[in-house]
Amino acid sequence: MTSTLEGIPGELAGVDLGQSAVTLTADASIYPLEALYGAAYIFIDRCYVFIDRPETTRYRVVLSTKKPGADEAALRALAGEFANELLSCAWRHQITQENRATIEAVTTQALSGAMGPPSLDELAAFDFTEEPFEDPLGIAMSWEDKYKKKPKAEEQDATTTAPSSGAEAAPSSTPTGGEGKNP
Amino acid sequence: MTELRFHRDVYKGTAIDEATKVFARFATFETTEAPEHWVVRLTAKSAARERQIVGELGNYALGLTIKASGGAR
Repeated sequence: MTSTLEGIPGELAGVDLGQSAVTLTADASIYPLEALYGAAYIFIDRCYVFIDRPETTRYRVVLSTKKPGADEAALRALAGEFANELLSCAWRHQITQENRATIEAVTTQALSGAMGPPSLDELAAFDFTEEPFEDPLGIAMSWEDKYKKKPKAEEQDATTTAPSSGAEAAPSSTPTGGEGKNP
Repeated sequence: MTELRFHRDVYKGTAIDEATKVFARFATFETTEAPEHWVVRLTAKSAARERQIVGELGNYALGLTIKASGGAR
């Protein structure tokens, strides 16, 4: 004979002292089957767990003690612990679902890194035409490109057109060291 | 005799088959199929023994189902 447990609504839990069992009802929209599996797996060494689905919207879990003759307090504790574990498993399942994309990306990167360097065929097939990144300020310009030696014709033009600005032009030749002394 | 009805959405049929094979030496089993359930009827030597086998069979089938679905990690 099934009776209600103190402090728990009758539609959510019931106890059968004759069978030494407690029955819990779980809403399928709140507790996914994976969460039920997780909670049940923890309890199968302590009691007998039976899961049923009387309706598509809810699951029914029956927990029976391995030794018959359990009192109501023991069954109530069993039901409470299972409900807590079920809630924990449901929450963990939801976190896993939300972070699935991140977990898959990290796993893929780890696996591709473990595969080692690419082969010559893979490198030959790689598309290098795309620009690696944009550099609108010219920060990535190399030292040689930025301070490369100008052609002599340009230097002569610079000295004839602006004789008074020799001091200003000097810094551009200083990095190569003493270029200004040469004719 | 005890009749167990394992819901198809919860338990895998292969898990039920394997569980009944494992416990075949402790009781006699008869398995049938219903639209939504795997039905197992078992008979043991005594009522107390039957209760124990029913519980252990259910746990074993559930464990195999969870293992098959990748949940036991």
